[in-house]
Amino acid sequence: MVSTSSLTIARSRISPLPKIALTRNTVGPVVLAAAVLLLWQISSGLVFVIPSPAATVQELFANLADPQYRTDLAVTAGATVRAFVVGAGIGFVLGLLVGFSDWAKALLEPLLVAFNGLPKIVLYPILLQMFSLGGGKVAMGILFALFPVFVNVATGVRELPPVYWKLALSTRASRWQRLVHIVLPGIRKPLLTGIRLSVSLAMSGVVLSEFFATDRGLGRVVLQAFSHAEYATMVATLVLLIVTSFVISVALWNLEKKIR
Amino acid sequence: MNDTGIQITDVGVRFPSPKGTVTAVENVTQHIPGGSFVSIVGPSGCGKSTLLAVIAGLQKPTSGGVRVHGREVTGPDRHIGFVFQEDSTLPWRNVEENVRFAMQMGGTPRAEQQRRAQEAIDLVGLSGFEHSYPSMLSGGMRQRVALARTLALEPNVVLMDEPFAALDQQTRIFLGAEVRQIWSRTHQTVVFVTHDIGEAILLSQQVWVMSYRPGTIIDVIDVDLPEQRDASIVSTHEFNELHNRIWTSLQAESMRGFQQEEMSA
Amino acid sequence: MSASASAPRLRLDPRQPAVSVAGTTLVVLALGLLLELGGRAEWWDVIPPLSAMFQGVAGLVGDAQFWSDAYRTGLEVAVSLVFGSVFGLLAGITFWKLPAVGRAFEPYLVALYAVPLALFYPFMIVLVGINVWSVILLATAMAAIPMALNTAVGLASMRPVYTKLGRSLNLSPRQMLFAVALPAAGPYLVAGLRMALVYSLIGCVAMEFVTAQAGLGYRIRYLYEIFDDTGMYAYILVVLLISVALTVLLGLVERLILRGRISW
Repeated sequence: MVSTSSLTIARSRISPLPKIALTRNTVGPVVLAAAVLLLWQISSGLVFVIPSPAATVQELFANLADPQYRTDLAVTAGATVRAFVVGAGIGFVLGLLVGFSDWAKALLEPLLVAFNGLPKIVLYPILLQMFSLGGGKVAMGILFALFPVFVNVATGVRELPPVYWKLALSTRASRWQRLVHIVLPGIRKPLLTGIRLSVSLAMSGVVLSEFFATDRGLGRVVLQAFSHAEYATMVATLVLLIVTSFVISVALWNLEKKIR
Repeated sequence: MNDTGIQITDVGVRFPSPKGTVTAVENVTQHIPGGSFVSIVGPSGCGKSTLLAVIAGLQKPTSGGVRVHGREVTGPDRHIGFVFQEDSTLPWRNVEENVRFAMQMGGTPRAEQQRRAQEAIDLVGLSGFEHSYPSMLSGGMRQRVALARTLALEPNVVLMDEPFAALDQQTRIFLGAEVRQIWSRTHQTVVFVTHDIGEAILLSQQVWVMSYRPGTIIDVIDVDLPEQRDASIVSTHEFNELHNRIWTSLQAESMRGFQQEEMSA
Repeated sequence: MSASASAPRLRLDPRQPAVSVAGTTLVVLALGLLLELGGRAEWWDVIPPLSAMFQGVAGLVGDAQFWSDAYRTGLEVAVSLVFGSVFGLLAGITFWKLPAVGRAFEPYLVALYAVPLALFYPFMIVLVGINVWSVILLATAMAAIPMALNTAVGLASMRPVYTKLGRSLNLSPRQMLFAVALPAAGPYLVAGLRMALVYSLIGCVAMEFVTAQAGLGYRIRYLYEIFDDTGMYAYILVVLLISVALTVLLGLVERLILRGRISW
């Protein structure tokens, strides 16, 4: 018997991990990337405001040489890491809770599903007032990073084959042993998926918060560049952010694929 | 040349594989008179399902050919019904819609679809379940839906590929008897693939024993049992004789099959 | 059921939906009460009492500005959802039919799934200007991605026996797609649609939040900047309520569409 709400969550867990059988094929993505670059180059020639790929890279290196920029970079990176660690951690604990306890699931799950559907960014002004500029964006990042891990761990625990539990009983494993030797290895796939999503979302939460209001950080750099019409810097920073997130995501995704 | 029935002439099927060519089926020549019920038994992996697929037009033979009702088989045909081993009911359609599915795809007029569907549903014993969804039905009932869908097309030939393999023993016996009953009323030509010797004897008029790869027919046994049979027939002397005879042929092939699989594993 | 001699234990089964709904409602009410009391007693000066927030929300109902903002956001969401899900569906079908293309796009879709394309918003504004279109374009992309992924996964997860069935009945590619493959992928398509809506809503509001001319997200930011706390909270609460309502509604719609397929 499957209830709709857990089916809902199960669906959101399944979707980021395509089960398309892949041959190790990097040719396609590389060709696509090349096509996009070409498009970029062409459009930069046609539209004034779009800097060419070469100019963007140049600008990026110039920026990285600037200590001010590096400080902004460090601020964003630091906030992202903190948000990810705390958010994923909380998500993990909550996920285990809802996974193991029917009562926790009954009470918390609908709330958390509802919370997942809202534009969490609108809570930022509240978080700002509570935690001030530095902490506010970390808090926002935590909220963003929490959910993928929570949902995936909760579903992962609930979808463990019942025979695992019988194994735990028959070997008289203690709670701790059950957790470490049966549950954790059993959920390693969804957990990894959740972590992958969580890293990206933590960064997004932090940067979006910086778009809104902050003292330092790459988000601020982007908006400032925007208002000063320094499009090269703006695009360079955006590209930096997207590419970093992309590289980490793909690396973690390849790791996921290797786990069987 | 016979106009009814199935004529299989020198059929062979070879597949390329990393280990060289695999001959699934070789040199099969048989004739099935129209309206008869034939079973094919053989060890797992012997090619009986491949042979069935060739008759159905789902698999092109590398040599030889098949004629059904005088016409050469070049591809899938709505006159050749096929019942799969796995559950093939569509979960988003209820029983009646499932049974109408094949006719609907073939462009049969709606009223005709409904009439034939109802007939088929009654024939397989699912009256009353027309509006149920497959998720509410047992495995055996779902296979009945698949059978009804095939029968509703009023095919000349019905091919069944281990249709009861995924079901429990009791259901198998029960459904087997039902299939036999249905056949005795409709008298379509039926080719039934199974690995269960008892089932083969119980249901059919003739049993072919197939060897392990390369699959070829090594024995053809006429089942000399009365037309009207029920489950009690398994304790008769005649039944056991037939069973022994088939099992002896099969045993050697099964052992060969095991050994081959072990060696290549 | 054995009757125990000691104190009777609570017989409620948390797995029943009714219990879950009741329990969650209680939790929500408790939190609401906390917010109310805390606000009144001024335990914290950041958040006003819940009753004040609700009063604010009630006030919005008669406020033309609110409806204009809601319309703006609603329009952006609706347009981006429609176009996004259609593109996503077509893309998913293409990836299924042309696996090589699917493999080429897959890493990008997977990686972009979690990165709100909203980050590109400043750039979009530069190109298109601060108007509905910059929001709609990005939100469409944001909605298309989960739809494309889910469609592709759903189609790929189709049971092989359906393909065999289709072949045995000589179905045309069109019949195969519309009568078998897409219905078979139904649950995934519906989930993709839900996610498209959620991402579209989140994207639109987030982008308006950053900068825009109108819309609910924009209004929240505006009220924040002019220090109108009560107004701001009212709008935040409205956005929360709308998204909760949408989530519940979508859940119901999903149940309705998939009726019969899920065994209860």
